[in-house]
Amino acid sequence: MALVGLAVTFAGFLLAAFSVGITSSNTGRLGLVLVGIVVSLVGIMGVINPAYQKNAVWKK
Amino acid sequence: MKKVLLAFSITWGLALAGVVVHAQAPAPEPAAAAPAAAAPVPITDADIKNAPTPKPEEKAAGDPAGTITGNPADIPVGDMKKGLTIQDVVGAVGQNLIATNFVWTLVTGFLVMFMQAGFAIVETGLARAKNANHTMMMNFMVYGVGMLAYWLIGFAIQEGGVGAVANLGGTAPLSSEYAITLFGKSWGLFGQKGMMLGGATYDVGVMVMFLFQMVFMDTALTIVTGTAAERWKYSAFLISSFVMGAFTYPIFANWAWGGGWLATLGSNYGLGHGYADFAGSGVVHSVGGVTALAMAIIIGPRIGKFKRDGTPNAIPGHDITIVLLGCFILAFGWFGFNPGSTLGAAANGNLRISSVAVNTMLAGMAGSFGAMYYMWMRYGKPDASMTGNGFLAGLVAITAPSGFVNPMASVIIGVIAGVLCALSCEFVERVLKLDDVVGAISVHGTNGIWGVISLGLFADGKSNYGGAWNGVPGSVTGLFYGDAGQLVAQLIGVATLIGFVFTFSFVLNMILEAVWGHRVAAKVELEGLDIPEMGALGYPEFVLRPEPAMEA
Repeated sequence: MALVGLAVTFAGFLLAAFSVGITSSNTGRLGLVLVGIVVSLVGIMGVINPAYQKNAVWKK
Repeated sequence: MKKVLLAFSITWGLALAGVVVHAQAPAPEPAAAAPAAAAPVPITDADIKNAPTPKPEEKAAGDPAGTITGNPADIPVGDMKKGLTIQDVVGAVGQNLIATNFVWTLVTGFLVMFMQAGFAIVETGLARAKNANHTMMMNFMVYGVGMLAYWLIGFAIQEGGVGAVANLGGTAPLSSEYAITLFGKSWGLFGQKGMMLGGATYDVGVMVMFLFQMVFMDTALTIVTGTAAERWKYSAFLISSFVMGAFTYPIFANWAWGGGWLATLGSNYGLGHGYADFAGSGVVHSVGGVTALAMAIIIGPRIGKFKRDGTPNAIPGHDITIVLLGCFILAFGWFGFNPGSTLGAAANGNLRISSVAVNTMLAGMAGSFGAMYYMWMRYGKPDASMTGNGFLAGLVAITAPSGFVNPMASVIIGVIAGVLCALSCEFVERVLKLDDVVGAISVHGTNGIWGVISLGLFADGKSNYGGAWNGVPGSVTGLFYGDAGQLVAQLIGVATLIGFVFTFSFVLNMILEAVWGHRVAAKVELEGLDIPEMGALGYPEFVLRPEPAMEA
């Protein structure tokens, strides 16, 4: 799952970075960048971290 | 005969009219009729030669008033047969300007280097006494291992294509940026000149640049040691820090400061002045903070940090007094970090250094108040370590916008940073269940990102560093002053920090975890890392109490 999370996190970055080529509207770019940031945060906090927490030392 | 026309007719006109205005003196009565402006006076070599110099007997008497020290006789003469010429004078003016910038940048770099001492005692104080030697040694050697990596390859990746830096003399041996074409525009990815400072980069200006950028890079590296303290295998720390100094930090720094694609978002796509980060809330602090986040996930919490139901136990540091002393040392170093980022004190709008310094101190003050009052209201006591962290959070947040905002905005940015730091620490510990020994993820990661965003909001358009920033004419201006595009550029930088830098750091450290292992054995962790890892206790004459039983 951690690898899936990394892919999601990286995809969020690509969406934000490529927003400048996808649209020339600053409002459109702002929307895409914000979506990209949320996607990356979901990848980190929603996928990668829970995957590692499954085997956390305090659960043993 | 060479002639130089100097446009100082107004000054001369006032002087000739006998009007001398002193600071805080009453304003003179307005003249009935303004005197006619004097015509520009051509200066000749003869004027230069006849400029008065102190006589030998005057020099022999000493100069208690400081009025004869520094005079035309001190200007180096190019040709002894010709004597002092206008060429000599103009050359000396140019070299003095660059010398001022050299000295300013070097001295501020020395201040930033001293921040390593602040980080060392903050982190060691917040760790337990049984890990003092280990924590201090990580902070000590991160300086050397980071510098080695940066000298070998990191500096070339970051600055290898930056081109001429006008404030440092304008020579351009760092002139090769690897770029690809995307959406019809050039996207700079990494520099290619300056490895081991060889070849044409053996240049006085490049040396200033290297020293200043190196100490910044080391600041980012030492952030991670605070998060992973008390359980990080020393050998793994050395490898991880080397990789970060060679690749992780320089890549993002190239994109932001070395002429890479983030810096050219303005000139390529009309997004304000491109991603702007005056002194590194994003480049330095967020890179360190998100790498610390990656490490906290990979390495896991210390034994005893969380109960079986996941609620956290408090593990207090062993010396709060050196923690707060370290915060003061860091604040002192920050006067190098932010004002030094002009890379000069003379010309090109660099007198803003006063404004940058004041913004820095105000934001630190506001950050400490924000965190202290938050803790006081929420827990009934003004928690010392969180107040110190709030102080640092304010400094972290103002680092990016310090060169572009006014004092009022600095206070607002700082107080938000202080509260945000406390909230983020709680979130990291209670929601994410991560163990961050010193709060570095919140202080540097969260507030580094807040600093980057705040620039896109509060930049007031009053700064002017040589007439342009990132190749876009005019002043950096945020959303509240009319430029929404600047905020979009800043947010793309934030997305890059969270989406790219985190992923890159995570993958590198995940590989290291697989082939080497980050964490010491449980027995070593319980005993304390000083003897097993370093061979000596930090405090050999102290009797260390056995670990108190943690609630399970």
